[in-house]
Amino acid sequence: MLQINNMQAGYGNLRILRGINMEISAGSIVTLLGGNGTGKSTLLKAVSGLIPLMEGSISFDGVDITGLKPHERVRRGIVQVTQAKEAYPAMTVEENLMLGAYTRKDRGAIKADLDQVYEFFPVLRERRVQLSGTLSGGEVQMLVIGRGMMAGPKMLMLDEPSAALAPKVVLDIFGNINRIAKTGVTILVVEQNVRMALILAEYGYIIRDGVIMLQGDAKKLISDPAVKESFLGGSVADTSKILHN
Amino acid sequence: MAFDFNSLFAFIIFGVTIGVVYGIVALGISLIYSGLDIVHFAHGEMYMFGAFFGLVLVHNIGLPYPLALIGAMVLTALLGMAIERTFYRRLTRAGGGYTVAGMGMIICGFGMSVALVNVAYFIWGAEAEPFRANLNFIPRLTFAGDIEVPESYVLTAIISVILMAALHYFLRHTKMGLAVRAVAHNKDIAYLMGINVPLMISLIFGLACGLGAAAGVLIGPMQSVQVEMGYLMLMKAFAAAVVGGFGSLPGAIIGGIMVGIFENLGAAYISASHKDIYAFLLLILVLMFKPSGLLGIEAKVKA
Ligand SMILES: Nc1ncnc2c1ncn2[C@@H]1O[C@H](COP(=O)(O)OP(=O)(O)O)[C@@H](O)[C@H]1O
Ligand SMILES: [Mg+2]
Repeated sequence: MLQINNMQAGYGNLRILRGINMEISAGSIVTLLGGNGTGKSTLLKAVSGLIPLMEGSISFDGVDITGLKPHERVRRGIVQVTQAKEAYPAMTVEENLMLGAYTRKDRGAIKADLDQVYEFFPVLRERRVQLSGTLSGGEVQMLVIGRGMMAGPKMLMLDEPSAALAPKVVLDIFGNINRIAKTGVTILVVEQNVRMALILAEYGYIIRDGVIMLQGDAKKLISDPAVKESFLGGSVADTSKILHN
Repeated sequence: MAFDFNSLFAFIIFGVTIGVVYGIVALGISLIYSGLDIVHFAHGEMYMFGAFFGLVLVHNIGLPYPLALIGAMVLTALLGMAIERTFYRRLTRAGGGYTVAGMGMIICGFGMSVALVNVAYFIWGAEAEPFRANLNFIPRLTFAGDIEVPESYVLTAIISVILMAALHYFLRHTKMGLAVRAVAHNKDIAYLMGINVPLMISLIFGLACGLGAAAGVLIGPMQSVQVEMGYLMLMKAFAAAVVGGFGSLPGAIIGGIMVGIFENLGAAYISASHKDIYAFLLLILVLMFKPSGLLGIEAKVKA
């Protein structure tokens, strides 16, 4: 479904991604892991089109989308939920959700998707006429994921949905990501919560310094000694050694 | 002059009417500010071109005044969009606000202002032209015995209310308005909602310039039309925008009304020959006590 070939991208002259190759098949849940500042968000931005590629190409559903603007990619079904849990604070919860469906005209299906968002995240239904600026952190995260669902994505990219949330909320959100996947949406989730992500996902990529340093089945990765040591509770010294050398 | 309530009432009515026009120009400046992250220093010239377009449409083409108003708004919107696409877009793409490109944008705006005044000078000359519009279809209002409100003021009040209601409806109750608000708040997120951000930016700019033009066509019959009329209007509209809270749309209108009342009262009770100073006096007073303006949220920090 998504194919990334030798993707290089960054900011201005600063090259962050230095030749990324990835392949995500339709209907799968894939996770992208890595330490802080390794280029995970940059990778999502390059796929959604917020930053241009310096080199390489991206194709989606067999079509080259490298030159497309972000809104054109959304129309093709590539939807990104950014890391900065950013809803529009001066708009109500429901206005935010309807904004997610901006590109769509199929009223009936939009209504059905709205009901589904409310079913997945009942708290959003309770707060539907409330300004989103008054929501808690967890509620905003649900809102931005729900807004992503409203776009009718083929592939939903989520950037650290668990960041800065209480464990109970994280569980709820991960459960719902799984439910979204079950509706046939391909998921690419960036995480720092490595254990949760590898339990959720089928396949994982580990990025460091702008290149993929390891990839494989999530079940294999979770028991991989290198992963174990660097992310899953090796000592702090070991973790920092692996992350920084 | 002797104080009586009837004339105080009259000064306030005239102040509000003129003030709403300042507010409409300020509305455009605020729209551009929130949508594009830039302060548009050539906006007074959009007002001036709007006034001339309206004048040409009425005098030379013979359109009735209301059609000329719409025509001038459309023409000025197109002119503004062309200017934005051709000159400003390169700078705003590199970042607005407090960036180096943002600074460049301020200078570019000033330059555009001077250039546009000169273009207008070549076309229409330096003479002030009276805007003779047939406003007979508007009733003259009489208040409290002896206060007469001329047609042009009545019309201005009506059109202003229509424009504000239309803008409010557009921004609050249409899908495209929702998109405009989304772009104004955060362009990246708007892009990710599938909104065609560059197109919306054009639209915002066109809308703002159209509003400036409406102000020009409304003021035209009260005063006259002249190529340098934009400077003072820009200053007053800025005062209105800052008094109301920069970037706030209701604030722009409220600020405009306050500036209008303040300067009319100042002219009436202090000194008429310093009429244009009062707006800035009000500006300084408001900034001293509430730097963010009346409806302003705390300063919008831009990176
Ligand atoms: N807008 C930006 N401009 C310049 N550099 C940036 C920008 N955003 C991120 N970076 C840099 O790119 C690198 C990767 O950032 P990012 O992709 O956000 O990392 P991650 O999401 O993995 O934590 C970091 O070194 C960061 O400082
Ligand atoms: Mg990140």
